[in-house]
Amino acid sequence: MSEFKYDYNYNIDAKKNMTYDAIVIGSGMSGGWAAKELCEAGMKVLVLERGRIIQHIKDYPNMNKEAWDWELRGSITPEERKKHYKAVRTNWIGEGNKDLYANDAENPYTEVKPFMWLRAHQMGGRSQLWGKQTYRWSELDFEANAKDGHGVDWPIRYKDIAPWYTYVEKYVGISGQALGLPQLPDSHFLPPMELNCVEKDIRQRIEGAFPSRNMTIGRVAHLTEPLNGRGKCQTRNKCSMGCPYSAFFSSVSVTLPAANATGNMTVRPFSIAHSIIYDEQKEKATGVKVIDAETGEMIEYHARIIFCNASTLSSTRILLNSTSNRFPNGLGNDSGELGHNLMDHTYRVGALGTFEGHEDKYYKGRRPNGIYIPRYWNIDEASKSDKFVRGFGYQGGASRKGWGGGANVQDFGANFKDSLLKDPGPWEFFITGFAECLPYHENKVTLDKNNLDKWGQPTLAIDCEWKENELALNKQIQEDAVEMLEKAGLKDIVGFDKKHEPGFGIHEMGTARMGRDPKTSVLNATNQIHACKNVFVTDGACMTSNSCVNPSLTYMALTARAANHAISELKKLNL
Amino acid sequence: MKRREALKNTAILGGTAAFSVSLLTLFQACKAQPRLTWEPQFLNVEQAQLVSALVDTIIPKTDTPGGLDVKVDILIDLLYDKTYDEQAQQNIVAEMDGFNDKCNAKFGKVFYQLAADQKKAILQAEEVNSPKFNSGVWGCSVGEQKPVGFYRSFKSLAVWGYCSSEAIGRDVLKYDPVPGDYQGCIPLSEVGGVWSL
Repeated sequence: MSEFKYDYNYNIDAKKNMTYDAIVIGSGMSGGWAAKELCEAGMKVLVLERGRIIQHIKDYPNMNKEAWDWELRGSITPEERKKHYKAVRTNWIGEGNKDLYANDAENPYTEVKPFMWLRAHQMGGRSQLWGKQTYRWSELDFEANAKDGHGVDWPIRYKDIAPWYTYVEKYVGISGQALGLPQLPDSHFLPPMELNCVEKDIRQRIEGAFPSRNMTIGRVAHLTEPLNGRGKCQTRNKCSMGCPYSAFFSSVSVTLPAANATGNMTVRPFSIAHSIIYDEQKEKATGVKVIDAETGEMIEYHARIIFCNASTLSSTRILLNSTSNRFPNGLGNDSGELGHNLMDHTYRVGALGTFEGHEDKYYKGRRPNGIYIPRYWNIDEASKSDKFVRGFGYQGGASRKGWGGGANVQDFGANFKDSLLKDPGPWEFFITGFAECLPYHENKVTLDKNNLDKWGQPTLAIDCEWKENELALNKQIQEDAVEMLEKAGLKDIVGFDKKHEPGFGIHEMGTARMGRDPKTSVLNATNQIHACKNVFVTDGACMTSNSCVNPSLTYMALTARAANHAISELKKLNL
Repeated sequence: MKRREALKNTAILGGTAAFSVSLLTLFQACKAQPRLTWEPQFLNVEQAQLVSALVDTIIPKTDTPGGLDVKVDILIDLLYDKTYDEQAQQNIVAEMDGFNDKCNAKFGKVFYQLAADQKKAILQAEEVNSPKFNSGVWGCSVGEQKPVGFYRSFKSLAVWGYCSSEAIGRDVLKYDPVPGDYQGCIPLSEVGGVWSL
């Protein structure tokens, strides 16, 4: 494949044509894949994006800036914090990336119970901000609901998605180390990033003390070798300001340029999908009602198929808002499950400590990655817990404190300054768990017609909480973390549980789940609405359970699979 | 912010903003005390003197630039002005006054007026008595954090302001904007100092 062109000249003149073969709602992680697959199959595709266009490289004004290039060194003002009053809870928003986070003031939502909903309202969505951790789900994950009786059975198994994992991995570029573990199948890997010397020592000690546990380098969507004209990661760790090397995967840098290169894509920015239009006679969807975010004008676009990729909760909001005589409670909501079974991963529970040794060693580069400890509970009879079902994995890593630890050094003056500049300080190591959450009907979102957004549209009320099983998993995460760090010889160990509310994992899943039975699910095995088969939902809303591993790779694989199913069904005139 | 407004009003009465600095300089010269050579945006003169004196005591000039050389005091005033909300601004002013009260109680003068060994005695006591910052995971500190107090949080701001300045971050710390492949285990001597980024 030839190199990507960086001046895409996206066709944004959607006014010329109100009818397309396909409409894709959303241009993020999954929407980018839908656009690419459909465009490459020769379909004319309209991509709706509620925010502005971002052109790769050209629209990364901060990609080469350092702290000293900003008057406030990258800090944001109280006014900006108010604008992002929900998202500032993450502590991640700075001058360099603030424009990639949605305006919370204009886009309110109601926390019936505390829920951190992080949104990105511009081209690329959260694929510009994601953590790049990329893991396959396993047979264990797809069988989980059927085996322990929580939620409904997935309509697919690992074998159904495995070839699509390979398909997207070869295009995305995933670096990692093959381990041959059944609970964490290997991807098609580029070379792994390197562990540092402390991580290598700790791995040996943990694997020695706990033979069923493994520690490996994180599997990430950062190139460690050039791929399709993209350059490899230069370990600057400035990803959220945009990567001039195209080294990390985002829809802005990879899938949308590919879709655009076909000449078949039209992007309509500032386009808020209001609802999907259902035709009672044809018994299918015929298009999408769009609000122009700048003018407030309502416009209708038509297509043969619709891919809903607005992100988990936004896709469900659109479906709930798509009412008709046939679907008075939202498109495809015959089961009453639309909006229900919301899940996320638990977050920031683990342990950290100080490592003694290797004081004469250091590293080079700001590796945008850490270590991963795959799930080891409830993977077979021997690892069965009597306290919880499902399991968790850990991310983590070792680094030296550097000058960031300076304030804690009990000294000041000339000697202090000297050590600040010359002594990288102690090595520190941490692990933090991500636990699977069960699908509970009562964890839900509903349309809140009393609380409208800037465009007069109903917002979401989110009612979600951790329950007994998630809390038991978190308890185990912390206990195991402390124990592993003790066995690894770390000092000053601190076990922690920040007790974050759901949403902090930014892995919200469910609310329009796939299933075998239309009476208990919204989508079928190929992500089509059971009773409206030309609407596909392939973002996190479709998930039937949520595993304990990061979900983006699975969204991408499901999207590519569903898009290719749609293409073949259209050819057979079945849609 | 009342203090800030008071300062602005003084400047207006004096005719121009610039005039207030020369007026200050004049008063300070009469008292034969260290001059404030910059115009604070948020702090009053006495608070600004405290900030400059603390920065200079924590990160003095040696064969490498000190905190004042890279304008850490001016930055801290700017950060208080532009990144602190009103409540945080009120708190920081109260904490500064409290810090000066401690100096007054011990030596009968506010911090910037103290002799070098008196300043040292004050900061040594602060170092011993101030709780430390807990370590963090992805931008959020973990474990039970005791309030670190004015001194430790000021020191943290000063260290960050110093190390993230261009003069130190680019030219004194080890600056490598495009490192290439990550190398996980190299001799410290090969780096020869602390990474800037």
